[in-house]
Amino acid sequence: MVLRSATKKAVAESPKRLANLIDLANVPSTLREVVGQSQISRLGCFIRVWSYIKEQNLQDAVDMNIVNCDDKLKRILLGKDQIKLAELPTLIKLHFPKQPK
Amino acid sequence: MGKLPPSMRSAPLPLSFFKPRPSPSTQTPNSSPAPETRKPRTPLYKSPAKQKKATKKIESGKAAAGGAISVPSPPQFFHSPALSEATAIVDSIADSSSSADPHSLLHSFCNAGASPTDSLALLRHLSLRFPSFSPTRSTYHILLVHSCLQPTIGDISPILTFLDLMSSSGFPPDSSSTDLAIRALCSASREDDAAELLLRGLSLHPDPFTYNFLVGRLAKTRSLSAVYSFIDELRNVAGIHPDRITYTILIDSVCRCRNLREATRLLGVLKHSGIKPDCYLYNNIMKAYCMLDQCGEVMEVYNKMRDEGIEPDLVTYNTLIYGLSKAGMIDQAKKFLNVMANSGYFPDIATYTSLISGMCRKGDTLGALRLLGEMEERGCSPNEFTYNALLMGLCKAGRLDKGMELYKVMTNGGMKLESPTYATFLRTLCRTNKIAEAYEVFDYARESKSLTDEVAYSTLESSLKRIK
Repeated sequence: MVLRSATKKAVAESPKRLANLIDLANVPSTLREVVGQSQISRLGCFIRVWSYIKEQNLQDAVDMNIVNCDDKLKRILLGKDQIKLAELPTLIKLHFPKQPK
Repeated sequence: MGKLPPSMRSAPLPLSFFKPRPSPSTQTPNSSPAPETRKPRTPLYKSPAKQKKATKKIESGKAAAGGAISVPSPPQFFHSPALSEATAIVDSIADSSSSADPHSLLHSFCNAGASPTDSLALLRHLSLRFPSFSPTRSTYHILLVHSCLQPTIGDISPILTFLDLMSSSGFPPDSSSTDLAIRALCSASREDDAAELLLRGLSLHPDPFTYNFLVGRLAKTRSLSAVYSFIDELRNVAGIHPDRITYTILIDSVCRCRNLREATRLLGVLKHSGIKPDCYLYNNIMKAYCMLDQCGEVMEVYNKMRDEGIEPDLVTYNTLIYGLSKAGMIDQAKKFLNVMANSGYFPDIATYTSLISGMCRKGDTLGALRLLGEMEERGCSPNEFTYNALLMGLCKAGRLDKGMELYKVMTNGGMKLESPTYATFLRTLCRTNKIAEAYEVFDYARESKSLTDEVAYSTLESSLKRIK
């Protein structure tokens, strides 16, 4: 147990992974409409999109795990009508490609 | 999970110990009601040894000397640290024959931010203007503390000069002067200077309280090697040996730093040093074993205590139950609930939390829930650590329904989630396809500031990844 929580901590605190999460990146104009900023981190973007979903009540009434995308969301999430909440982080990640160094 | 639940760390202390006694000494210029305001005499450790040290301290009557210095709010006579203005004010007070106490005047001048040299000059002026006033030891203590509180880190020569002046004025610094100086230096974050003062000022004879206070401060703020070299040097220079309380402090501080190897070494040193442990030291030894993941040893420590006729206290029982629960010996731990009650100690929240988390670790979540009920019946309301342990246990045992109920209680109470609990809870939610709930928990963890956004998000992301 000690070991496991220690490794998890190491992952969360690993500088590379953390940088990947919180470094600001330029985002395309479609995404800018939702998040309202031209530069945002992957973490910030996820939080903005998730709160946008909550604000606009886009979760499916029957299955809360599914989001019915409105036009704005469709434009940033590969044009899908419906997405699963579980794949939201992966979809967001597509906008933040790895920086070649 | 290898840590003491924080609920256990803050065993309630009878704070009445720290209330000052009316001082019998005539040294105190103002019969000040709260001498401990500026330099709390409470050692900075939350170790059980605290109560004892503080009691002894007050019994030793030195609080009287402390009272002379840290008057809570002396009347403000001076508003600027300029000497010329101050002398003028003193003159007017002396002429108006109002009954101002020279000590409070001096103290107020120090508080106004005067330099030590100016304060000394004012003292001379005071003894000129008030014929009935002659400086006493406590007068010099005011100035001594003042010069120790100066933020000139790394330069103790003014203090040494002042101590010489005290000696030549017929008040050679005694152990209470030393104590005041050391505590003042420490409260100005000048621990290194305090150590140097003891090493260089050989006329200062620190008593065990001063010595242990400084060791405690050093252990808290400096590296362990610095503490050891200080202890060694002082042993060579002044012949002061670490005593039982020093070891209690050292073991406590290495436990805090999770320095396993050092804790083991200290336990060995202690065995050879011939110091007879007392209840507090035993408590710390038990804690050390818990931290070393040798929880089985706590039972042996307990038996040894009983053999030596040392009465265990609440902290002993709590540590014992914590250790036994952690080692998975729940039945034994439960037995001690009765033993405790027989010796007049009632299980508190730390006891129950240890037991509950032990039971959860063994997978006996229903038993843990029962114990929660029992605990509430006895008027002991669970705190967030109890709930965290229980929530994690329920998730691991697959009792998510109960876990959700518990989580509701936690959110209503505004309790924080601990990182391992949060991760387990999220993983369980994702595994049972309750993604929306997992997102809610993520929101709650951020709202309640249980975790940073980054940790909360990366846990959520990795839990979601696992389900594919």
